[in-house]
Amino acid sequence: MTPASSSSNHCLRSRRAALALALLLAGCGKTDPASYRIPKEKDAELPASMTRPAATAPTPAAAPGGPLAGTAVPPAGGPGLAWTAPAAWQPKPVGAMRKGSFTIPGDAGATADLSITTFPGAVGGELANINRWRGQVSLPPIAENDLAAAATRFTANGLPFTVVDLAGADPANPQRILGGMTPYQDAMWFFKLTGPDALVAQAKPAFLDFLKTVKPVTP
Amino acid sequence: MKTLLRDLRDFFVSLKLTVALLVFGMLLVFAATLDQTNLGIWGIQQKWFRTFIVWQEVRGISLPIFPGGYFIGGLLLLNLLAAHIARFTFTGRKAGIFLTHLGLILLLIGELLSGLWQEDFHLRLNEGDTKNYAESYRDNEVALTDITDATFDHVVTIPDALLERHASVQHPKLPFRVVAKAYYPNSLLQMRGPASPPSLATTGLGLEVVAAPQPMTYKPNEANLPSTYVELVAPDASPGTFLLSTGLVAPQRFDYGGRSWKITLRPKRIYEPFSLTLVKFSHDRYAGTAIPKNFSSRIKLTTPDGRDDREVLVSMNNPLRYAGLTFYQAGFENNDRTSILQVVRNPSWLLPYVACAMMNVGLVAQFGLHLVAFVQKRRAKLSVPAVA
Repeated sequence: MTPASSSSNHCLRSRRAALALALLLAGCGKTDPASYRIPKEKDAELPASMTRPAATAPTPAAAPGGPLAGTAVPPAGGPGLAWTAPAAWQPKPVGAMRKGSFTIPGDAGATADLSITTFPGAVGGELANINRWRGQVSLPPIAENDLAAAATRFTANGLPFTVVDLAGADPANPQRILGGMTPYQDAMWFFKLTGPDALVAQAKPAFLDFLKTVKPVTP
Repeated sequence: MKTLLRDLRDFFVSLKLTVALLVFGMLLVFAATLDQTNLGIWGIQQKWFRTFIVWQEVRGISLPIFPGGYFIGGLLLLNLLAAHIARFTFTGRKAGIFLTHLGLILLLIGELLSGLWQEDFHLRLNEGDTKNYAESYRDNEVALTDITDATFDHVVTIPDALLERHASVQHPKLPFRVVAKAYYPNSLLQMRGPASPPSLATTGLGLEVVAAPQPMTYKPNEANLPSTYVELVAPDASPGTFLLSTGLVAPQRFDYGGRSWKITLRPKRIYEPFSLTLVKFSHDRYAGTAIPKNFSSRIKLTTPDGRDDREVLVSMNNPLRYAGLTFYQAGFENNDRTSILQVVRNPSWLLPYVACAMMNVGLVAQFGLHLVAFVQKRRAKLSVPAVA
């Protein structure tokens, strides 16, 4: 073996050792793409307004409101709220992002959906969120001046609630949203009951009573 | 040259160096504890301890302000080793000191290995849910899944470290290139309005929702909401640019090349060769009060080959250790129907226990030897008759 080849071998060995060490220190390829095969998985429940194919233009109904109310989240952790739901409401498994989820059964198989979600921060403020919900039932947005008339406010267990009752403007598919929101610990919590107009209207007293059971989790 | 080597040896075996490093270590812990109010526990670990130099941003410029944990710990380790090699001669009388120091060396190495190898995940289970993966607290990934097959999903994941670098990824299992156009570690999702600026997204939910970058939060009761804009580039009709965020409930779907795909940004997952089902979560309170007494999760552990199919109880201070992972009861939500387990993978988890045991035995042996010697000396003194 010539000295040159010995030296290059030595250099190669050193490089390999350095590479091995670098990989070890970096946690063995933590930054590389990976691929694998898994048995089919079920995704989180998707709100109706989001179940449209990609690359299509937003529908007029979805444009001002869209899916955001259904997508709220804060990734977990931190303090939370607890609630007591009426016995007739059927609890559903929460998706990755929902804090709570219920089906409210009605006559003739009709059902409404109650979602409890939360977002860090003010999430655009009250008006933006109310207008988002209005958009979801084809109602035009309201201005800041109309806010006082559009929303009801009350305080329960120290939590200030803003509640809106939005009857949809589409006669062919009368939908209604009862939305409640309350700020708690640097996050906004949303309680949104969506479903057929008659069923949601009928569930309104129970929904309001339900909001009054919401309270901070005792540490 | 010889003088230099001797100076170096004298420096590394010096007891003064040990004392100086211990003082630096104490200052490091003190300063990091104060900084915890700004960065949270994870942030200060990275900034102060798992680094060679502590950097602080002063008026937009990063300045080195203090030696980091790796630097101080590393030098301490060298100091200990050097002192043993240069000075120490093994005798029975010094066995205790030797064992104690060996334990200390092992503790330092264990912390280094934990810093390099330990990975933390969490597993969120609703009662009745079964999962065979855990999710990272901090790392995220873009997952592109080919869902055409009726039985299996083919998944390609791209870690957020690549997204941050605005990398362009061409993976052999993907018929398109993935280009990260923007990555925000924390963001605010807002509906796009008439006044919104043009979006980077050309398809999917990004047409309606826009992500605005936010400063990262380190508060324990807040979470970051990462978002990214990712373009899928193909030779022919490219699928377009998607807005992805961990704040969006479900993956976005599209068709390309005769196959169906879904794309999402999600916490990094590790899949396990077994699955866990939450049978029941219990939140026990002291009778007549709302004061928590115990949290526990009754879990069913199943392996696909049927080798394991049993129930285990995970409660506070009573974790499940299985397949190199440790599952701790970490939290709960959804009115006590969702349990959150912390999942830790740390191949070096035993080292601190072994190190502490060695130090204990060493100290007991050393003090024991001294005690015996002292008692013998005292006895001998007492047995000598007093001379008048």
